[in-house]
Amino acid sequence: MIKKISLHDAVGTKLAHDITEIRPGEFKGPAFQKGHTVCDEDICHLQKLGKNNLYLIELDKDEIHENQAASILARGLAGEGIAWKDEPREGKIGLHAAIDGILVVDKAALAAFNLVDEVMCATRSSYSLVKKEDLVAATRAIPLVMKRAPIERAAAIASQNKGVVSVLPLKTALAGIIITGNEVFHGLIQDRFAPVLTRKIEDLGSHVHAVTFVPDEPIRIQQAVERNLAEGCNLILVSGGMSVDPDDVTRKAIYQSGADEIHYGAAVLPGAMFMVAYRNNIPIIGIPACGLHHRITVLDLVLPRILSGEHIGKKELAFLGHGGLCLDCKPCVYPHCPFGKG
Amino acid sequence: MKNFHTLLQESSIAHGHLCPGQVVGIRMAMLGCRLIGLTDPTRLDQIKKLLVYVEMDRCTADAVAHVTGVKLGRRSLKFMDYGIMAATFINLISRKSYRVISTEESRELVPEYAPEIQGKSNQQLTAYQRMPDSVLFRVQEVQVKLNEFDLPGPTQWKAICSRCGQVIRDGREVIRDKKIVCKPCTEQSYFSDSREITWPDMNWSPVNPGADRILKKAILK
Repeated sequence: MIKKISLHDAVGTKLAHDITEIRPGEFKGPAFQKGHTVCDEDICHLQKLGKNNLYLIELDKDEIHENQAASILARGLAGEGIAWKDEPREGKIGLHAAIDGILVVDKAALAAFNLVDEVMCATRSSYSLVKKEDLVAATRAIPLVMKRAPIERAAAIASQNKGVVSVLPLKTALAGIIITGNEVFHGLIQDRFAPVLTRKIEDLGSHVHAVTFVPDEPIRIQQAVERNLAEGCNLILVSGGMSVDPDDVTRKAIYQSGADEIHYGAAVLPGAMFMVAYRNNIPIIGIPACGLHHRITVLDLVLPRILSGEHIGKKELAFLGHGGLCLDCKPCVYPHCPFGKG
Repeated sequence: MKNFHTLLQESSIAHGHLCPGQVVGIRMAMLGCRLIGLTDPTRLDQIKKLLVYVEMDRCTADAVAHVTGVKLGRRSLKFMDYGIMAATFINLISRKSYRVISTEESRELVPEYAPEIQGKSNQQLTAYQRMPDSVLFRVQEVQVKLNEFDLPGPTQWKAICSRCGQVIRDGREVIRDKKIVCKPCTEQSYFSDSREITWPDMNWSPVNPGADRILKKAILK
């Protein structure tokens, strides 16, 4: 139960909640913290903050304070790889990455959680790459005092799949890069694909085992895939030959190499002719020529997810469509743009 | 209790079609029974421990009745015409009572839980199976004041309408001008302008289906 008292009668009482002060461009935070005993000297400061009355709280048996509620909510929301401190500020708790990795948000559970009255949680976009200690989500209970049952229900909703937000580590893969194309193989033009792919793989903490150049011959591409697998690669990237020309044979070669699952086509531009295949659960990624011409493509959206252990199939490639249109900005500011954040 | 998928299949046959309301009703009943501590409500030793109030006459109500085995004729199923997707499950021994309410949010969340499914009904069918109970339902512990005339078991009380002579069971009579009256004889009736009629083949019975024709022939002679 909440009781309102005049500021002048508040001396000697304890504050029921943090009182926020905002000085534009200078400061935003609690000027007074919950539990602070109001004294004569505080009255003027509180008046400057627009407070003429304060709340006294007497909790009923089935009620909880916003700070307790925030702790219950944070516990439900936090999944694997998330750290948070049970120190609510202004009824709010931040959830942080406990490790470097990829943020995964259970969007259905998040929506269900936020449809419960009087609670909220905001997160960064799912599949964002994050560093240890990065803020990835924040939650708060909105009123000062609320019933315990809806808060516990919201926490249960949040924990339905072991938490709404998780940070998964990226595994260190040993990658084989296969550059296809007669023009490169015969030295008519210089390859520029291998350095791009090598940098992308190494930026994600993986290693390149070998770069193999092969002509547009299915059997040669197939042999290169098999050789890389035999030499212990657990990730294969094949560039070029993904289009619709008669010389584009990479798909056929990957099929012949014994891939047990092939998904061709992604709802992303650049990257519509992207391919993800699997052989004995080892991903074989087909990268179309856009990977050479654009700084960021579908590969940058999918590769971290593959390295986190996610199995990418038709559904995952299709769901990239919302937010999957790159505006080709100059200069490119990815990841600080909407690309891949649908 | 049988598993969800078996119950869904059976309930759909009993109801006449498979629909999202069946999924919600089965899950509502499974949760309600779990809350009041009944593991198999259709089993002989549990069937008499259960009373269910349904608050809607929609597909969900049939599914609740199928899972729990409650029946109008057994007086274990009560219909409250509230138009609310909710049902209250009462353990008559422990008197624990829980009202399980289907959330409106669950309808909003269907596309989130089954984004890859096409068509509203199919999407609902899948999503309502994927949602956890916490999303699909809210639950209230409630007190239900049970009238002794509402309980299962033999008829406890009969009265006779002073206006039409109809026997009235289980305390449903009303008093008008200090006299016992049945509800149809008051303004509470759901029908009006009643007029008694005769109908063809009036003497038909399952054990003597030709009786009426025999009677007619006898009259013709």
